[in-house]
Amino acid sequence: MNFSLIGALQILFKILIFPGLLFVVVIGLFLAGIDRKLVARMQKRVGPPLRQPWFDFLKLLGKETIVPHAANKAVYLAAPVIGFTGLVVMALFIPVFGYSTFSGNGDLIVLLYLLTIPAVALIIGGSASGSPYAGIGISREMVTMMSYELPLIIILLSVARKVGGSALCFSLGQIVNWQASNGCLAFHPALIPAMLAMLLVIPAEVGTQPFDVAEAETEICEGPLIEYSGAPLAVFKLNTAMKMFIMTALFTNLFFGGVSTASLIGAGIPAIALDAVIMVLICIVVTFLSMSLIHAITARFKIEHLFKFYWTVVAGLAALSLVLVWFGL
Amino acid sequence: MSYIHFPVIAVMTLFMGAFLTVVLGRHSKGVRSFIALAASCVSFALIAMLVKPVMIDGEIISYWMGNWAPMSGYAIGIGYEVDQLGLFFALLVVTTILLSAVYSIRYIEKDSSQDFYYVLFLMLSGSVLGLVMTGDVFNMFIMIEIMTFTAVGLTAFRNTSFGAVEAGFKYLVIGSIGSSFTLFGIAVLYGQCHTLNMAQLSAMLYGNHSPATLMAFALMFTGLAVKSYIVPFHTPAADAYTTAPSSISMVFSGMVNKAGVYGMIRLVYIIFRTVDMPSVQTLIVLFGTVTMFIGVTMALAQHDFKRLLAFHSISQIGYVITAAGLCTSLGLSAGLFHAMNHTLFKGLLFLCAGAVLRSTGTTNLDQLGGLSKRMPKTTLCFLVGAFSISGLPPFNGFASKWLVYQAAYEKAVTTGNIFYAFVTVTAVVVSVMTLASFIKVTQAAFFGQLPARLADVEEAPGLMLLPMYIMSLLCVGTGIFYDKVYQYLLDPAVRAAFTVSNYIDRMMGDGYAEAAGVEDVFASNPHFSYWNPVIWLALFVIVFCAAYICVVTSKGSRGQILSDEGGAEDGKYATFFSGEKALPSHVAGSDLFWGFKTDWKGYFRVMEGLHSGIVNDYALYVVAAAAFVVVFTFAFLR
Amino acid sequence: MMMKRRLRNKMMNVNYIASVILVVMGLYTIITKKNLIKVVLGMGIVDYGINLFIVSVGFNDKAGATAPIYNMTELLGQAQATGVTQFFVDPVPQALTLTSIVIGACVDAMALSLVIKLYKQYKTVNTDEIRRLRG
Repeated sequence: MNFSLIGALQILFKILIFPGLLFVVVIGLFLAGIDRKLVARMQKRVGPPLRQPWFDFLKLLGKETIVPHAANKAVYLAAPVIGFTGLVVMALFIPVFGYSTFSGNGDLIVLLYLLTIPAVALIIGGSASGSPYAGIGISREMVTMMSYELPLIIILLSVARKVGGSALCFSLGQIVNWQASNGCLAFHPALIPAMLAMLLVIPAEVGTQPFDVAEAETEICEGPLIEYSGAPLAVFKLNTAMKMFIMTALFTNLFFGGVSTASLIGAGIPAIALDAVIMVLICIVVTFLSMSLIHAITARFKIEHLFKFYWTVVAGLAALSLVLVWFGL
Repeated sequence: MSYIHFPVIAVMTLFMGAFLTVVLGRHSKGVRSFIALAASCVSFALIAMLVKPVMIDGEIISYWMGNWAPMSGYAIGIGYEVDQLGLFFALLVVTTILLSAVYSIRYIEKDSSQDFYYVLFLMLSGSVLGLVMTGDVFNMFIMIEIMTFTAVGLTAFRNTSFGAVEAGFKYLVIGSIGSSFTLFGIAVLYGQCHTLNMAQLSAMLYGNHSPATLMAFALMFTGLAVKSYIVPFHTPAADAYTTAPSSISMVFSGMVNKAGVYGMIRLVYIIFRTVDMPSVQTLIVLFGTVTMFIGVTMALAQHDFKRLLAFHSISQIGYVITAAGLCTSLGLSAGLFHAMNHTLFKGLLFLCAGAVLRSTGTTNLDQLGGLSKRMPKTTLCFLVGAFSISGLPPFNGFASKWLVYQAAYEKAVTTGNIFYAFVTVTAVVVSVMTLASFIKVTQAAFFGQLPARLADVEEAPGLMLLPMYIMSLLCVGTGIFYDKVYQYLLDPAVRAAFTVSNYIDRMMGDGYAEAAGVEDVFASNPHFSYWNPVIWLALFVIVFCAAYICVVTSKGSRGQILSDEGGAEDGKYATFFSGEKALPSHVAGSDLFWGFKTDWKGYFRVMEGLHSGIVNDYALYVVAAAAFVVVFTFAFLR
Repeated sequence: MMMKRRLRNKMMNVNYIASVILVVMGLYTIITKKNLIKVVLGMGIVDYGINLFIVSVGFNDKAGATAPIYNMTELLGQAQATGVTQFFVDPVPQALTLTSIVIGACVDAMALSLVIKLYKQYKTVNTDEIRRLRG
């Protein structure tokens, strides 16, 4: 790696603006706004304006930060930052419009593990706050994580098998390129169960109703977040919004990757812009299907039901896909 | 050429240290600590000096005791042979010994008969070091036996503490059944080949199996599997790791079960070279997968800090065995890397548990809580260890688990066998469960509210923290510079395991392997990169930005306990307390994850029934598994 | 001569069968007997079975062989005179057996001392009652 000044500036640009920090934050909060609006409309409410997540974020930044007496201060304050870091690094691994900052052979597994970092940060932060409500919250968060991790890995392996054939393929970039030449994976019948499973994994990963058992406001008062206030809370809320974008973008890359208008209107800036719009549109649709719709029509799970649901229904769907793909469909 | 004596001197130093401790160290604490430290330092230095010739220059050291070199193609004397694989494990062993010796000085200062502790400790160290460097199967058996005795002695060292003698007895019974199987296998092998030298055996057995050698393989495989504590041989390990002093638990998980793993790798890769057979791969991977799953689920059910760590130790060995059983160069790299990382992070975690035990007097997770306020340094080390074992990037556990998944899935897609795909899935799920149980420990012991009983607990002394810091640094360092680890340690070791002919020729003379028809099958060299230097810049910038948002924009204040003594004196908050006293409440370890446990009630009930604590049952598992291996061998091996 | 050799071979098979029977008996004892002392005895029996096996291995195909106690001239003279090199049994297994016997004795001693300790602490030698560590 050549560390020239221009190179360093380019890297900084990638990290801070596009497709890193700023981009993910903007799109994430935008998706969060859309989600709230959609849910409200489905419940026959007017709903908040699209900019509401921004207002919430800025408001929280201005509030006082209180560190509880029982808390371990350093860990309590560091946790949101660590989660945030994990998410931004993850954004750098996901190809946005066929454009990713880092790529390597291990993309999928690295992503799987980077995905756990925000959840672990939430858990460690809640644990460090010392509240018994947070204790119950982190237990539920952890069980939720165990629940969706099984289907998620099976989904990733099915996709890897479909794309790689009899060679090892864990690279997201390779998956997107494969789809560019062979058609979107969403239109391969064998992978449709995996796609459905992925649609169900996203809300659990993000933590929206009915899978928000960890934060269940009505029972355990936001669980791990109970003691948080001010800027750390703002960062946690931001993390949730960013996760929304990252999960939907991951979905888009896995199942609708390689959509490109370059062949229609010629390569160049307009094509990239059009691709970007298409990708964001797909993300919005996925947000609607997997989060808003389910949110609006269901009530919260109990934790043991959540676990059973993921390890039977969702994992079953994913495993069906894996078996179908394995035997050549 | 003087370094050819180093392996033997390193082993002898440790045994001499044990002897000198008895002679000189009976009455003086300083003398015996000095002897232990000096012996471990010397052997560490001697082994470290072998890295250059063996690992980098690719030389294999052979050493005939009493210069009894082979005559007319038959090995007569006892030979030591240090190839890259052996040296890799020897490095793990000496590192563990040195750190444990430093830790022991303060850790056991309140115990009686410390001289015996050091005698047993040094003998254990010497035996394991000898085991990984010997080139003679019977010598290996002797070392295994010394290892078992001393390990039993050390398990029962605190013989007044809860269950220590019981654990020692179970360990002895199961361990000696394992040793007996090994010896039986060696005897059958000797009856067939009339030699005990590994290199010569390897040449004679290469692609040349008779029913008798298959029987020997099954018996030795079982015997060494007992020593590496894979399920169903894991039961004494769980007890022994729990009751032994923590410095010894670290040695157990850091090198004693690695000795078993080393033995299995040596057995299937070099001596019998059966690992090329798909059926043997299936057998080993099956054992490994079951081990990692049962280990981790049992760990989730534990209430005791050290017992939980013990089951995790078993579970992580499952990863090592699984990866090594794949018989690809990527798989063996992953296995060895995970073995090394396991030595580091599990050692670190046991040392943390020891620090907690020494400070609070208990390892019961239901009685601990909030220790991060009183023991911040231990907490930091624990978190590093916990994140490493859970495989969070950028710690070392991630790098090796990542390789394990890749290796398992590569095996699945290249062979088209869906079994390996489910192995990969199991490995990932086990990793998440590992994370879950460390979250449990973190919450139950280090975070949450500090019970009044522990209000004046003290941080561990510096001499105990030092090895913990070193191991933490190693955990982070090997995770970040995994490519260097691969280049200098793993790749040579993997090559050594696949190039049997070098091993044979060095010991028995050039051309011996060729004459016996031994061919090397070295698969391609794995390439991997998930992490590059740029990402460090990225992380730094991001952390800076996020911290800026948190710190600069916030107006902080510290929460107060409002009603410490009877009711809220501050009228402003009285409504919230209704005049009642605020009681500390802490979500203890055994209450966490009940949502998960209720779904698995049946499974946990069966598992608890199986881990009955009755030594007859444990012996039954060993014998049944041995029978299974024998039947499997004769049914599927060709 | 042939008869004698065949008989000898049959006797060797008896050795092997006996050793396996001993090992199985020992394992059976360990698995079924609830008394700690009997468990230790079982471990001993397994050891004896294996020792018998190792010693028998030394007699492999060496009918009429005797103990390997010779001086060098006898050794060389006999070999040159008869061309037969297998007139004494393989000495290595005997060395192995000796080592193994010593180790077995140590195992038994250690196990019995632990049993004494256990009896003092638990007031019983019944394995069903010595199970504080379980689950």
